[in-house]
Amino acid sequence: MVLKLYVDRLSQPSRAVLIFCKANGIEFDEVLVDVAKGQQRSPEYAEINPMKNVPAIVDGRFKLFESHAILVYLACAFPGVAEHWYPADLSRRAKIDSVLHWHHSNLRAGAAPYVFNARLAPIFGLPLNPRVAARAEKLLSGSLAKIESIWLKGKGRFLVGSSQPSIADLSLVCEIMQLELLDKEDRNRLLGPHKKVQQWIEDTRHATRPYFDEMHNILFKVKEKLARMPAEGATSKTLAGNKKQILSKM
Amino acid sequence: MKLQIYKHCLSQPSHAVIIFCKLHQIEFEEIEISLANGQQYTPEYKVINPMGKLPAIVHGTYKLSESHAILIYLASFPGVADHWYPSDIQKRAKIQSVLDWHHSNLRQTAAYVMNSSAAPLLRRKLNLEAAVINRKVLLKSLKMIENFWLNGDGKFLLGNSQPSIADLSLACEIMLLELVPDRDQILSPYKKVLQWIEDTRNATNPFFDELHSLMFELKAVLTVESSVAEHSEARRKLRTLLSKL
Repeated sequence: MVLKLYVDRLSQPSRAVLIFCKANGIEFDEVLVDVAKGQQRSPEYAEINPMKNVPAIVDGRFKLFESHAILVYLACAFPGVAEHWYPADLSRRAKIDSVLHWHHSNLRAGAAPYVFNARLAPIFGLPLNPRVAARAEKLLSGSLAKIESIWLKGKGRFLVGSSQPSIADLSLVCEIMQLELLDKEDRNRLLGPHKKVQQWIEDTRHATRPYFDEMHNILFKVKEKLARMPAEGATSKTLAGNKKQILSKM
Repeated sequence: MKLQIYKHCLSQPSHAVIIFCKLHQIEFEEIEISLANGQQYTPEYKVINPMGKLPAIVHGTYKLSESHAILIYLASFPGVADHWYPSDIQKRAKIQSVLDWHHSNLRQTAAYVMNSSAAPLLRRKLNLEAAVINRKVLLKSLKMIENFWLNGDGKFLLGNSQPSIADLSLACEIMLLELVPDRDQILSPYKKVLQWIEDTRNATNPFFDELHSLMFELKAVLTVESSVAEHSEARRKLRTLLSKL
């Protein structure tokens, strides 16, 4: 029975899992769970993942959610996955684990709500929320600065001084790619100061070509769709003004 | 090569790492970092952990931060039973999914405790507006633990019959609620959660109680109702405890 990936390419962690599988020749069925349409909240999907977010996998009878747990599992379960993705050496592995755990409360907690509340929400029929975006931007900027000065320190081109990419590189770069949905000005403001980060994104993209671009193509389509939508606050899809803003569940 | 653990006495992730070490007789030296005095931002500590967070470990020339990465690393030490971080990749993956889930969910407990009650202990300001949001996430997380993570035959998370590093990390997080006045109101609906904390405590005692003793001392002093004489005594005790932070 082939591995099933329950994903939406609009979701940063979904892309990381998809790219990983493609880059390592892992066969899978891609099952779209359309988050803009709220499909992650269906009772059927709750059977797969009661947390109602993407990605999730089903491997035979084994179900798993949380993209980092999925990436580690795939790196260990599938033969032919090159060792650099999740090294066997425990000291190197632990450094990668520390980035993966740092990510949740830092880059992810900044980037995802920033992009959602500054740009993406109308795709979900929700209004933008500049106040939430401003708060998230601070965390995002701080996290990018830490990647630049701390995680990218060392001889190698990848995180924690590695000369080859790990699952941490893939996860974090996919998160940052969500910034492609922003205007050029905003993206430059955020990424411009960080030369190492920009190079590292390119290096990760290069290391996983052509799958990286394939999986990120959706962002350009969504960006075009956003550009065609009426101005923020006046979309035909915008719900009643007193609907509470939700954080991205992607 | 002795392990050094940089920690704080009210830091849940520090507690989890130290309890794990004590339980497995992993020799270590503990170094307290004063959060109240901003010691985590000093150049000396930045050499240990440039992120300025706790805990961090130093093992010879090797440095590591993030408590979950540290627990995984320590689980590979000789003599550590398999159930803490199983070698079976599917069982291990499930434990990792809890550890990942924790960050955006139950970890809000620390934020709730700080923003609603404990911030002045560390010379910070309360943030009651944020505390309202933190509390909602905390309650949702407790419900998820009660209704999903504790499903199964065993007493521990994921239906396991023995504890893993995920049980230790999450149970320590919930212990922070000892510092808030509405602790009982928050936890009482969750019978399985309460039992699981007891089971995790039993599986790791006496170290679990030892590491949480300061929390209980602070709780006792903060909630004392008193005559003038008792009030002075309480203030003296509180000053002594605060100097440790």
